Amino acid sequence: MTSITWGVDTIILLILSGLTKASLLFIVAAGLSLVFGVLRIINLAHGSFYMIGAFIAASIVTRNPEGPSFWFAIAIAPFIVAIFGWIIELAVLRRIYRSEHIVQLLATYALILILGDVVRMIWGAEYISISFPQPLTKPVSIMDSYFPSYNLFVIAWAPLIALFLWWFVYKTGIGCLVRAAVSDAEMLDALGINIQRIFSIVFTIGAFLAALGGIIVSPMGSIGLGMDLEILIEAFVVAVIGGLGSFAGALLGSVIIGLMHSFGITIAPRMAMAFIFLAMVTVLIIRPWGIFGEKER
Amino acid sequence: MIYRFGIILLILILLFIPVFATPYMILLLTELVLLSLFSTSYNLIFGYGGMVSFGHAAYFGLGAYTLAIAVKKYGLSPFVGLILAPLIGGIFALIIGWFCVRTVRLYFALLTLAFSQLFYTIVFQWYDFTGGSDGIHGIVRPEVLSPSLNFYYFSLGIVIICMVFLWRIIESPFGWSLRAIRENVERAQFLGINDRLYRLIAFILSGCFAAVAGALYTFFQRWASPDLLFWTTSAEPVLMCILGGMFNFFGPAVGTMLFIFLRQVITDYTLYWPFVLGMILLFLVLFIPQGITGFVGDILRKITKNYSGGVKNAS
Repeated sequence: MTSITWGVDTIILLILSGLTKASLLFIVAAGLSLVFGVLRIINLAHGSFYMIGAFIAASIVTRNPEGPSFWFAIAIAPFIVAIFGWIIELAVLRRIYRSEHIVQLLATYALILILGDVVRMIWGAEYISISFPQPLTKPVSIMDSYFPSYNLFVIAWAPLIALFLWWFVYKTGIGCLVRAAVSDAEMLDALGINIQRIFSIVFTIGAFLAALGGIIVSPMGSIGLGMDLEILIEAFVVAVIGGLGSFAGALLGSVIIGLMHSFGITIAPRMAMAFIFLAMVTVLIIRPWGIFGEKER
Repeated sequence: MIYRFGIILLILILLFIPVFATPYMILLLTELVLLSLFSTSYNLIFGYGGMVSFGHAAYFGLGAYTLAIAVKKYGLSPFVGLILAPLIGGIFALIIGWFCVRTVRLYFALLTLAFSQLFYTIVFQWYDFTGGSDGIHGIVRPEVLSPSLNFYYFSLGIVIICMVFLWRIIESPFGWSLRAIRENVERAQFLGINDRLYRLIAFILSGCFAAVAGALYTFFQRWASPDLLFWTTSAEPVLMCILGGMFNFFGPAVGTMLFIFLRQVITDYTLYWPFVLGMILLFLVLFIPQGITGFVGDILRKITKNYSGGVKNAS
């Protein structure tokens, strides 16, 4: 075991790196949760959108590594993936809303296989890494230690997204319909609302958020095949612990998992991941619908 | 009649095919036989029990690691490992199943997934005991089983024995009660069937047979890797059951055969086998949800109006 001195700055750093992870997880898990809440579908292909987002960002940045291309990527790539997600909703998801869970899981699993290979066809199997964008290349000093300024930028995203989602769901007309669709989609349909359109919008937002997560993570590690499966399972844990379909749950879940991750890896590196799944198992046994979720009807 | 004839024919083919097969084909056949047991064991809970588990890799992997650890850590004979595997698989299936059968549908799938990922991370990280991400290498097969042909017959024998057991389970009153629970839980409860207990027993049995398949697989490959426990491994039997049809005893085996055949043919042409597999799967779930066996059965039924016996459809 590595010896660590438990100063205040160590703890602050661990909290900050935990929150960085939490912020990323929230962006991805919120989309997964939103899609489940409205469409009642577990979208296994959510991680694929994340991966595609990261690869598109990498393409844009590697073409012109010096300029502000990362900011350009963050501005347009989520929209590209969102349009792509919308097409997938029309082509595949729309056909399985009334199917059994297993059919939905298998269809979205098929999408993982297909999209994973599409990424391999376009970008190849090599890992790509891109550097931190200007002006976030230098670390900032916190007490006696240094912390990457980019990570602070990542942390800032979660409240922004949370605020946006809250505004969208509670303050807009479409959001109102989305809430109605969550509580009774059939009734809404019977009232003459075009429910397919709401499903499309929600799924597109889900794809957008996944891609955004992928782009934000892209300068922090290597971009490669397999990142879809990795994030999917983590976002899953977060969404399930917090309660599928609940934003507050996704927020709490991501903070719990993010902190468990950063502290766990420092204290007991070998057991950190096991503890995370143990948490998921415990929540599912005690309260299957998660901390903030509602019991399935 | 036709059914029994078909089974005998199938066994004869499996017995005599190595005469004509190339060494590589024998390896494929061994894999086919082992994975057929894995998918058929899964179908006990999936097709007959109506429980969508997304964590069956746990038992496959537990069986695989039981054999590997028994041989490499404790110096036991691999045959002892092969006997221990269903016991270990069964014990863990009992513990996991005890929690899982309390949940239904989606939450059942999530909980089984969470448990199997828990096992995966433990195996992946516990270097001292499981070899961690490296897995456990160098499991030597005894001299008799060293040629791949002998090992093929050895696995075929064990798999046939397991399949007979599974068949007897599925056709027993227990198996029919399981179907009753799948179709209508309340009605089964009124008939005095303890649905949780029955589902738990099915879960344990399924875990035992999956562990046998996993142990044989390690024995066959001569090494165990943590990937055997990863959730994508859990997706494979689901896929095979859907491909072959989940309401037929031989559906999963047919699905496994199709899976291995397609993989072989397609990887000859293109590197993008997952892409093609995804397309096939998507086509299947969107247009032929009853699986190939069910689909062919439906066509047969349409052709022969007086169709009876033939493919026994449990649905």
